[in-house]
Amino acid sequence: MKGIPVVFFLLLVGGGSGVIHWLENHLLSCPFKKWTGVDCPGCGLQRSFVALLKGDVWMSFKLYPATLPILALCIFTILHLKFDFKNGAFLIKLMYIFATVIIVTSYIYKIYHHQLF
Amino acid sequence: MSEEQEGQAQNSQPSQENSQNPQNPQWQQNPQGYQNFSQPNPNNPYPPYGGGFGGMQMALPNATIVLVLGILSIVACCCFYGLVGVVLGVVALILSKKDKENYLANMNYYTLSSYKNLNAGRVCAIIGLILSGLILLLCIVFAIFFGFNTLTDEETLKQFLRELQ
Repeated sequence: MKGIPVVFFLLLVGGGSGVIHWLENHLLSCPFKKWTGVDCPGCGLQRSFVALLKGDVWMSFKLYPATLPILALCIFTILHLKFDFKNGAFLIKLMYIFATVIIVTSYIYKIYHHQLF
Repeated sequence: MSEEQEGQAQNSQPSQENSQNPQNPQWQQNPQGYQNFSQPNPNNPYPPYGGGFGGMQMALPNATIVLVLGILSIVACCCFYGLVGVVLGVVALILSKKDKENYLANMNYYTLSSYKNLNAGRVCAIIGLILSGLILLLCIVFAIFFGFNTLTDEETLKQFLRELQ
């Protein structure tokens, strides 16, 4: 169990560009976008994550603003489940609501600025 | 892995109590473990985990799962028209309902932190459920009002949306 993060880290450092290249060419396609050509509220998450792996934080934010909050939420949840922080549950709730608000706001912004189609 | 360790740590506690109370072999009758303690034995004056002060309490069995599912429900909210998010949210809510009843029935057996985790997971699941439900509803409304053809044909939909604005 403990080896998995280490292997992942080694992969990322050693053959980092290879992994990113593979990820870039194997993104799951969103059926909503495929059928309608219109973005769904989750579109951009994978591209944004790949951009983050490349180290381009601003590009990642532009593609999908909620990636960083969601990642932070996931990491904090794992840490909380492991170490059991005092106000962890409350913080998780707050971060979750924050991430949701960002997702909804960015989608409304996209609709408003005609970036969907 | 951690659950196994917890189980082992808890196993050691009641066996000590049993050695002190040989007339009360409840632990030996229930080898399958914690599930029995949701219905405490009224004839047993000593709860198996000490019941509060200084006694071993255990985490609610579904708290971690509910929390993880609740968080996943927002990550997956947009996959397949919101269906994945709805399923994860509903599963988390059902699991949490059972555990909440369990906790309220006998508070002394379970840790408060796991109950907080459970509640956080519940809130996350509700929000994720609402969000993915809205997306699902949007897709259904689209399909009903504009016909499935509009939804599958890219050009028609784009034209329609431009006219709408």
